[in-house]
Amino acid sequence: MTARFDVLRYPWVRRLVVSRWPQYLVRVTLLALFLLAVLVGWLGTPVGNRNFAIVGVWIAWWAVLILVAVPFLGRAWCSVCPLPLPGEWLQQGSLLGPRGRGGWSLGRRWPRRWRHIWLQNAGFTVLALFSAVILTRPGVTAWVLLGLVLLAVGVSLVYERRAFCRYLCPVGGFIGLYAQAAPLELRVKDPAVCAAHTEKACYTGNEQGFGCPWGTFPLGMVRNDVCGLCFECLRTCTYDNLALNIRPLGADLAQRRGAKLDEAFKAFILLGSALTYAAVFLGPWGALKDAAYDVGAPSWWGYAALLVGLSWVILPGLFSLGVWAGRPRLSWRRAFTVLAYALVPLGLAMWAAFSLAFVAASVAYVLPVLSDPFGWGWDLLGTAGWAWRPVLDGWLPLLQAGLLALGAFWSVRTARGIGAIWGWPRAVYPVAGYVALMTGGMLWLLLG
Amino acid sequence: MRNFGEWRWGIGLVVAVLVLGLPVPQPQAKPQERVFRVTARQFAFEPPVLQVNPGDRVVIELRSSDVVHGLYVEGYDVEAVAEPGQPDRIVFVADRPGTYRLRCSVTCGDLHPFMGGKLRVGRNPWLWKGAALALWGVTLALFAARPRTREGGR
Amino acid sequence: MKHSHALALATLVFLFTGVALGPVRRWWRNREVVEIRARMPERGGFSPKALTVPAGTPVRLRLVSDDVVHGFAIGGQDAPVVDLYPGKPVEVTLTFDRPGTYTFYCTRWCGPNHWRMRGTITVEGPTTPEPTSPPPLYVQLGLDIDAPHEATVVPQERPRAFRGQRWASRIPPEMQTVEYVRTHAPEEVWLTLRALPATADLDDQQVWDLVAYLWRQATSREALAEGARLYAQQCAACHGEAGQGDGPFAPQQVTMPDFTDPAWSFGASPALWQGKVLRGGMGTTMPSWGLIFTEEQTWAVVDYLWTFSMDLEPGFPSTVP
Ligand code: SF4
Ligand code: SF4
Ligand SMILES: [Cu+2]
Repeated sequence: MTARFDVLRYPWVRRLVVSRWPQYLVRVTLLALFLLAVLVGWLGTPVGNRNFAIVGVWIAWWAVLILVAVPFLGRAWCSVCPLPLPGEWLQQGSLLGPRGRGGWSLGRRWPRRWRHIWLQNAGFTVLALFSAVILTRPGVTAWVLLGLVLLAVGVSLVYERRAFCRYLCPVGGFIGLYAQAAPLELRVKDPAVCAAHTEKACYTGNEQGFGCPWGTFPLGMVRNDVCGLCFECLRTCTYDNLALNIRPLGADLAQRRGAKLDEAFKAFILLGSALTYAAVFLGPWGALKDAAYDVGAPSWWGYAALLVGLSWVILPGLFSLGVWAGRPRLSWRRAFTVLAYALVPLGLAMWAAFSLAFVAASVAYVLPVLSDPFGWGWDLLGTAGWAWRPVLDGWLPLLQAGLLALGAFWSVRTARGIGAIWGWPRAVYPVAGYVALMTGGMLWLLLG
Repeated sequence: MRNFGEWRWGIGLVVAVLVLGLPVPQPQAKPQERVFRVTARQFAFEPPVLQVNPGDRVVIELRSSDVVHGLYVEGYDVEAVAEPGQPDRIVFVADRPGTYRLRCSVTCGDLHPFMGGKLRVGRNPWLWKGAALALWGVTLALFAARPRTREGGR
Repeated sequence: MKHSHALALATLVFLFTGVALGPVRRWWRNREVVEIRARMPERGGFSPKALTVPAGTPVRLRLVSDDVVHGFAIGGQDAPVVDLYPGKPVEVTLTFDRPGTYTFYCTRWCGPNHWRMRGTITVEGPTTPEPTSPPPLYVQLGLDIDAPHEATVVPQERPRAFRGQRWASRIPPEMQTVEYVRTHAPEEVWLTLRALPATADLDDQQVWDLVAYLWRQATSREALAEGARLYAQQCAACHGEAGQGDGPFAPQQVTMPDFTDPAWSFGASPALWQGKVLRGGMGTTMPSWGLIFTEEQTWAVVDYLWTFSMDLEPGFPSTVP
């Protein structure tokens, strides 16, 4: 075990996370902004870069999520996410903690054969197929957002806990995979205490709080993907046996337990979509943009084939060839699964590098839109007329090159760790080759 | 496994900074004037990539074939705005090597934020430095850095 | 515990009310403003396309584009032209004193059908007698502006006004009037001049230079500059920056003349050209400008068109900036 530092040792931090109020206030504010986005998406200007639904969600939220929240705080977004909130309220019959009565949910258990993230993988891919439209048309964004909330409400009314978050949310799988690289984790302090505790309040809930909404038993938790940092277990645990640790980067990735094939595929879907997005949205090729936008047209099917083929077939196929070439001692499938986690740091770096360019060019839309969210000619902040100019243009290449190199280094290092754990030291060579290929491709797309 | 001590991190970083500082050789051609007739349409520039040598005088004549478009050259901060029948022209000296994005600067429809092209001035030093840096990172990870594992790493 | 739940609920209600206030505020403000949205013509152009307003009362219009850059202006009026940038509404207040029908139109190219993007404002009120303007010249002359007008004689090279100036005294004074020039085709004028004994010592090209000189005398630098501006804004997207009929939208049009071709140009009089501009082409896709340009503007455009086939003034036709 490497070093951990429990931030809950500071009483004010403990108070901040254990009290329901800070989280509640952030969440309702975000829910209000979310509803604003839906409303603006329908009623506001159809011009994307003047509409809060587009600029607030796909520029401001996305920038914070991928550049700050996920890399540094892991699933912290899930802690304050407004999407499942209305459903949770109904399910729990309460706005703020247990009230000693049930909610309005059938409380079924999520079916065993859907307990994986293949649905999230599929959902993410489907959104990616329509991304050129979703990213630019406020009305479409509004319907997608509303659809996700309604789905979350529906799932909450039938099933127990946050089944939507854990098994369906298209963003959830992505955050869960990359959260494993983050330097923040919630874990039990002393496993022996949990083992001896018969009530398992953290899982079942008590009058202090709900049983883990993510259906996780903290003692068994080895990776960040199954913990939404909702802090319920901090509230319920009778022995104060939970820690919120600062830890080294990438701590979850190289370990024996918790590697899953569905999540391994997520890694390739994210690599594939990062490459495709960099080509479509930042590349100079107009025909590619048209193809991604003309949903239903033959060229769009070409784009769909490219995206799906790359993410689901070519990239994992190439990787499994590498795995085979590395002559694993494990079964091929197992070897593929455990080694794929080595690609997490590089994937995160690729997404960050792509998003930096995307955000740098579009962040200038944020202030005008905050001043006039609907595009109705308001000027709440006096910034509605600010002219568009990209920011950071001198530093961008350096940052992108640095990020990608760091991702490459860290991925290969992780691969070496994974190889060491499984007594498979050769594993690092195919990963190094694969990483070099991906890094080169992304460098060329972004900086070529 | 070798121990990757503090001082090795230091060496790794110093080399990384040195790599970033490496000079990237640029084509040594006599500066000339390069005239590009760029046509903008929803949502692309044609030609999409303009290649020049450092020191060249670049003339971009922008024409539009559908609606009002702009062409903004990142890094050089110059802009042309053209409407069908009303071309515009920008002239500047491409004195800094690198790859600079061309972006449409006048909202021209749904995909406007993604309408762009590239101006390549010589070789982009960052592409090569980035590649060298990544290679150094991979090498370091392969042969020097002790991996971090959760259990039984050694 | 009960207490904090009530507080939580209050926070929730407060925030959601805040969100709902946006649309409410707009609904409230919209009672006094007429909103005109602009979209590319294929997606509907202006909406609404027709407005009715009372004479003499100020009307507040909120103009906004939903896709690309559009413009807004009212035909035949000196009121300033408004540029409409996507998602940035502009409010203007207009007062129409005289009842009648006004045409508003888009001033920035927004696709191949840009010129179809028009609408009308009907101003109602007690009718005051309108000052009667004479019918346009082509009607007075009874010209059939759709008839072919191929020139049978053409010059070897471009006629040049500054060369023609040397022999200007050979031209009879009755030909040296704006009215004369506007009602005659260059070909006719050339034939008339050629037949004069005063031009017997000049060669054919020199007589053409005299024609150019006459055409130059019938216009001014200012008119040419105004014509050049209007041409670039309204005409060049189809007719081409250099008048050769090769603008980006030319391929979509039914017919497209080449103004630099003397055979096409020199068989028609300025009056006939003005007629085409005013009325537009039946059966061709030439828009009608009668409701949009003022009388002077139509002449300025027509004057400028001649610079594609003759050298009238240095700097015209104007090319790429
Ligand atoms: S309630 Fe606390 S002590 Fe008991 S099992 Fe859960 S985390 Fe462990
Ligand atoms: S483990 Fe604790 S913090 Fe994580 S999701 Fe479950 S209850 Fe929330
Ligand atoms: Cu554009």
